Amino acid sequence: MANPSDILVQLSSALVARAADARGAIAAVRLGGGRHLTGTIWGPGLVVASEQSLPKRDRFELVLPGGGGAEAALAGRDAGTNIALLRPLQPVAPPPAQPGQADLGSLALAFGADGAGGATARMGLVNLVGPEWHSRAGGRIDARIVLDLRLAPAEEGGPVFDGAGGRLGITTFGPRGRVLVIPARTIEAVIPLLLQHGRVARGWLGLAFQRVAVPDALQPQAGQASALMVVSVAAGGPAAKAGVMPGDIVLAVDGAATTRLHGIVPRLGPDSIGHSVDLRLLRGGALATLQAVIEARPAA
Amino acid sequence: MREAAAVTVPRQRALRVFLSTEDAARCGAWAAIIVAAGHERAASSDDADLVLSDAGPGGEWLRISAHGGEQDPAGLLAADADAQQVEAALRAVAAGLVVRTPRAAEPGFHAIDEGEGRKLLTPRELEVLRAIGEGLTNKAIARRLGISLHTVKFHIESIFRKLGVRTRTGAIAKAPEWRGQTIEL
Repeated sequence: MANPSDILVQLSSALVARAADARGAIAAVRLGGGRHLTGTIWGPGLVVASEQSLPKRDRFELVLPGGGGAEAALAGRDAGTNIALLRPLQPVAPPPAQPGQADLGSLALAFGADGAGGATARMGLVNLVGPEWHSRAGGRIDARIVLDLRLAPAEEGGPVFDGAGGRLGITTFGPRGRVLVIPARTIEAVIPLLLQHGRVARGWLGLAFQRVAVPDALQPQAGQASALMVVSVAAGGPAAKAGVMPGDIVLAVDGAATTRLHGIVPRLGPDSIGHSVDLRLLRGGALATLQAVIEARPAA
Repeated sequence: MREAAAVTVPRQRALRVFLSTEDAARCGAWAAIIVAAGHERAASSDDADLVLSDAGPGGEWLRISAHGGEQDPAGLLAADADAQQVEAALRAVAAGLVVRTPRAAEPGFHAIDEGEGRKLLTPRELEVLRAIGEGLTNKAIARRLGISLHTVKFHIESIFRKLGVRTRTGAIAKAPEWRGQTIEL
């Protein structure tokens, strides 16, 4: 007979209770071939999933908590924040959720869908907490939260809770299979945009770059040691219209040096569309400045 | 001296592979590779040794999963991997190995590349590195770029120093990991 005052028994019972609370928020998104992804029932009529792993379709079949099936329409997707939003055609509502607090070393409970209406559970620590960051696809994520747990591919997109039961966000895979959290705050900010527009508009220059060292001889006039070399220019895009060419080395965008991208990405936010920016660049060893009018990044 | 013990490599048995994709053309292509390699197509994932599926929102990745494997996905190839790569990857995963392509791009939600912790190459050094990768000699590189042999050697020394390698092969091997992402703005 287990001793009820045993701390492990208490911990285990608390975890069981948390899992029972979370189950109502977990849906499976069917992918065909017997595979699935996890969707988190975030609010009434709203299911969020990890954008990077969701096939490009308009309609999905869900398995709701308890095993009932439901059709869902894609409301929108944003690769920048890695959030996709589905709207089930029948009412769904999550259990009440409190906002969580990501503290380094806190317990983290991550849940996934088992594909048949049940849940799978994972436990780990909050391995790393950092400030806001920008994704490769241009989105701003409110906090860097890394978990030290393992996740199966089918569990990606499920909810994560802190030790106190507060909702931290949803899980997603970062580089090398590390498990990241898309924070609740980011999800809350993106949901209205996806409901209204189906996407999150972002400013776009139409350039692909590779990071390079500025050659020693040019550093005095460039005033910086590293910059972005243009490797391709999107045909008909803002930079192409401005006359940017492959091989140009862009030193600054709107006065912000390209040595650090975190100064540049905010200048390409939703409000930037239609505005003109100065591109300071090196071409054939000489400085030049071109003006480009920022356009909305085309849907991928 | 004693004779070395005989080594036996088990004869390769046919693998049962389940194909999981909604793309009919891709399914047909995979089926052709599997049959040509002497494997069997399994009717369900339950009685398969391996599952071949596509991954990524646009199906950019070909994923190989092994039943009860520790690491999932055990195999990850570009969706356009050729028949030889797919067959080699299936065999390797069946033998308990983990397979990855050397391509720098990797699935997962990535932060934008701030280039931290890397010594950056200049545009000229990048051109020289690319030429080394194509197997060109110093003389041929000098001719292509219109610079002197001395300058080519100077650039190569600088590349080796920045990449922390001593040979051309070492530089080629390090290049993809070092190069980082293409940044799109």
